[in-house]
Amino acid sequence: MSNVTEVLTALADPTRRHLLERLSIRGEATATALAGDLPISRQAVVQHLAVLDRVGLVRGRRRGREHRFIVRTEPLAETVKWMEKLSQQWDYRLSVIKQIAEASEVHEHATNSSSGQESRESHE
Amino acid sequence: MNTDRIEREVVIDAPIERVWSALTQPASVSSWFSNGNKVTIDLREGGVMALDQGDHGAFQTVIVSVSPPNLFSFRWASAYPDVLATEDNSTLVEFTLKATPEGTVLRVVESGFDALEIPADRVQHAGFENHSKGWTGVVAEFVKYVMANQETALFDSP
Repeated sequence: MSNVTEVLTALADPTRRHLLERLSIRGEATATALAGDLPISRQAVVQHLAVLDRVGLVRGRRRGREHRFIVRTEPLAETVKWMEKLSQQWDYRLSVIKQIAEASEVHEHATNSSSGQESRESHE
Repeated sequence: MNTDRIEREVVIDAPIERVWSALTQPASVSSWFSNGNKVTIDLREGGVMALDQGDHGAFQTVIVSVSPPNLFSFRWASAYPDVLATEDNSTLVEFTLKATPEGTVLRVVESGFDALEIPADRVQHAGFENHSKGWTGVVAEFVKYVMANQETALFDSP
């Protein structure tokens, strides 16, 4: 369900990141316990958990009368892939520059040897 | 993983001057950075390099250093189409070129992700490819942290 954009949007809020960090440390926790870790109300914690739940970053479980939450890492794995993609975009750009630079050398030799070529706008 | 910067490099079998041209001339910048769309470059410190990345938006990058044939850097506000890049809204993209016996080493470093703040309202309106770049730092840091905790946690999602 979740995609990288939704996950990133959910993580845009520093409080939600903090909340998720605390939950990942606790392993499993109720909203009340999490509210004890953070300078916000239990009600605010519940609202933030709902946002995280929508994008699949947490999941609630009922344990008797308690509603406990755990972190889910699947959506994070997707964002890791996305970060790798950022690096790959630079690899791609560098490879295009490489192609142009290496090809223009060949081109240069070609134009040098055929002097009848019309003069180009700018030569180095 | 360093959360603030991306570093990549490539060895090019061409003289450094030619790599410099491939890096900075409008026609080739169009190829490597602008999906073949029009690019205008005022190649001087403080000059604007304007990119049209089609569906991803148009970007007004601002050139920081031009020192042929060794250094070319600019600020890129990839989360803010049409807005002039400033220190607050952009990452720094820095290309260094070095002649070696193996060829010209072209290195790129994009840095400043950690300091980049994208307002929440922008996140929703900006296209994914545009705004997402700014999140590398925050997300990398966070993912690393949570994954590390997760490894030691006792629960596994059934």
